[in-house]
Amino acid sequence: MKNKYNKQLVLLVCTMLSITAFSQNTPEIHGYVRNYTGVLTGQGTDYSIIQNTMNLSFEKKTPFMGFKLNPYVYHYAQDDDVDFGLREAYIDLFFDHFDLRVGKQQIVWGKADGVFITDVVSPKDLREFLLPDFEEIRIGITSIKLNYYFGKDNAFELVLAPEFEPTRYAEPGSIWFPKMSLQGAKIDMSEKKITPSLKNSEVFLKFSKLSDFIDYEIMGGYMFDDDQSMHTRRYMNPQTQTPDSVVITPRHHRLGLFGGSLGTEIKGVVLRSEAAFYTGKRFMSTNPMTPDGLIEKDYVHYLIGADWITRGINFSVQFIQEAILDYDSDIAKDKTTNTMTFIANDSFFNDKLTADVLAYWGLTNEDALIRPRITYELYGGLNLTVGGNLFFGSKGMFGQFDKNDMVYFKLKYDF
Amino acid sequence: MLQSLKIKSYLCALLLLATAAGKTVSAQEPSALKIIENVYNRDEGESRIGKIRMTLINNRDNKRIREIQQYVKDYGDMDKIIMFFITPADVRNTSFLSWSYDDESKVDNQWIYLPALKKVKRISSDSKKDYFMGSDFTYDDMGDRHPNADNHKLLRTETMNDEECYVIESIPKERGYMYSKKVTWVIKDKWIELKKTFYDEDGELLKNLTSLEYSLIKGYWFVTHLEMHNVQKNHRTDMQFIELELDAGVDDNLFTERMMSLGL
Repeated sequence: MKNKYNKQLVLLVCTMLSITAFSQNTPEIHGYVRNYTGVLTGQGTDYSIIQNTMNLSFEKKTPFMGFKLNPYVYHYAQDDDVDFGLREAYIDLFFDHFDLRVGKQQIVWGKADGVFITDVVSPKDLREFLLPDFEEIRIGITSIKLNYYFGKDNAFELVLAPEFEPTRYAEPGSIWFPKMSLQGAKIDMSEKKITPSLKNSEVFLKFSKLSDFIDYEIMGGYMFDDDQSMHTRRYMNPQTQTPDSVVITPRHHRLGLFGGSLGTEIKGVVLRSEAAFYTGKRFMSTNPMTPDGLIEKDYVHYLIGADWITRGINFSVQFIQEAILDYDSDIAKDKTTNTMTFIANDSFFNDKLTADVLAYWGLTNEDALIRPRITYELYGGLNLTVGGNLFFGSKGMFGQFDKNDMVYFKLKYDF
Repeated sequence: MLQSLKIKSYLCALLLLATAAGKTVSAQEPSALKIIENVYNRDEGESRIGKIRMTLINNRDNKRIREIQQYVKDYGDMDKIIMFFITPADVRNTSFLSWSYDDESKVDNQWIYLPALKKVKRISSDSKKDYFMGSDFTYDDMGDRHPNADNHKLLRTETMNDEECYVIESIPKERGYMYSKKVTWVIKDKWIELKKTFYDEDGELLKNLTSLEYSLIKGYWFVTHLEMHNVQKNHRTDMQFIELELDAGVDDNLFTERMMSLGL
């Protein structure tokens, strides 16, 4: 298996180098090489990760067109495994009032920091929870993106994604595998995959405006839920009339989405808000009699936030709420889930050293994730980062990983 | 009699010192505010395209290079500026957009595009106090501070580098501004700041700004090479235009979210 991957990797690199070597219009090549080593501190001193990364970006841009090819390779030293792929691979066409981008691309919407509210066009890779850089968490989707610009800083963005790509979660056995009560259940994966077709395409539309007083976006989408709904069927033993077996069928359902975001500045404080309203989202039920174990409800996800600077330190605070409308007490998830985020960063010695902290605080489950780190520029483009990921609590999104506290360092060279 | 001679001698000595160090201000000189307004309003063309190289030099003479592509356009009542960071590689494709207004009651609008986040973010106008890319220039040092934001006083006239200069002291009207005082040497008739000294909030000398090169381009006086020296940290930033075009006919579409995210 490994041999097969190695051959594909060599083929990929050779293709890249061939493009570079023989192209008459040589593209710009940028990227980074990085070592990322983390040690668990909550359960012994096991390495949580030893990862070597190469990220390459081949780019070319003219006034009429451009392209980007962004292959990556992750080497995991612990089990000598290699993961590689294309983060982005697209072609741009530029016109006077519109741009067209076709291919695999990361699409980012909204004004939230570290939280995904209307930023749902690109699915997420959560195989290492929320710990990788956001560029690595977002999965590029194959899509056609049309941007139309008109008037004074107005723009429409239309995205058509013919192939649905779901959120990726850690596999069982990983320290980042989410806690689920599926013990003894049989998993039927037959309906997890959405067959690519025009009917199964996702469509998103956004209007955005930048002005001196306020920036805002209004968006809508006809999409599949990135998170799978766990259809649960309980088969009864006809003789004992007790549950005999449980079969769980993960399935992605259609969702209607409407939302928006805005940002403005008042007396040096940038105020941000973002909200998304979903129709037809399915939630797991605690009642075994609920058909398929799921209850369908409308759902709101929103935040309000503020950024400001005090004594040269940048601060950001956000309050986020998820609320299930017309709540049913059988739903396993709380009616409302409240979270706060806190960000502070500063730089020293003419930006040679930067220090920042990002903290998530789950108000509902009394859990938290605190991520302090410092980065030192050793040489132009060569940076050493030392940081920690500290989990608190016993349940909830962060508390479930309470044993996964870690310290890490990253040595990264950008070129 | 002896006492009187002594006093006269002192006065003559003081007068000689004053003449040597700088001339006293005559009644015909423009007011300090007018001089600073002339600097502020000095015509640099309706637009410009420039590539800037900043060399950051620490107290051990270690150098770090930053390069920026800059587009500027004067819209009469407002200026728009967009900057694309080229090097170092880890900040490549970061862009910064600023709309600044002649109307001093309006705060500047600023946005930053971070390629790692693929997002245009509005940032606080208070960030003008931040140092720009680790240099010794704050965002405010690089922009035009409105003349009415400070109280100005014409201290003297003085010859520096063979240029006749007005020496102006500027004290900020607002409390808590990052500098307690600035002293500027303005070249007569060219309205260029030849030198500027910045004093910190405790009144101590913080930074010296020196215009190393300036020239007449398309009929506009323009400073093409500057050095900012932070004397407290002994850190210097050499800022030089390595490419420059004035009246460049810059397209309005450059100063948009579209260009920030598409990059150069």
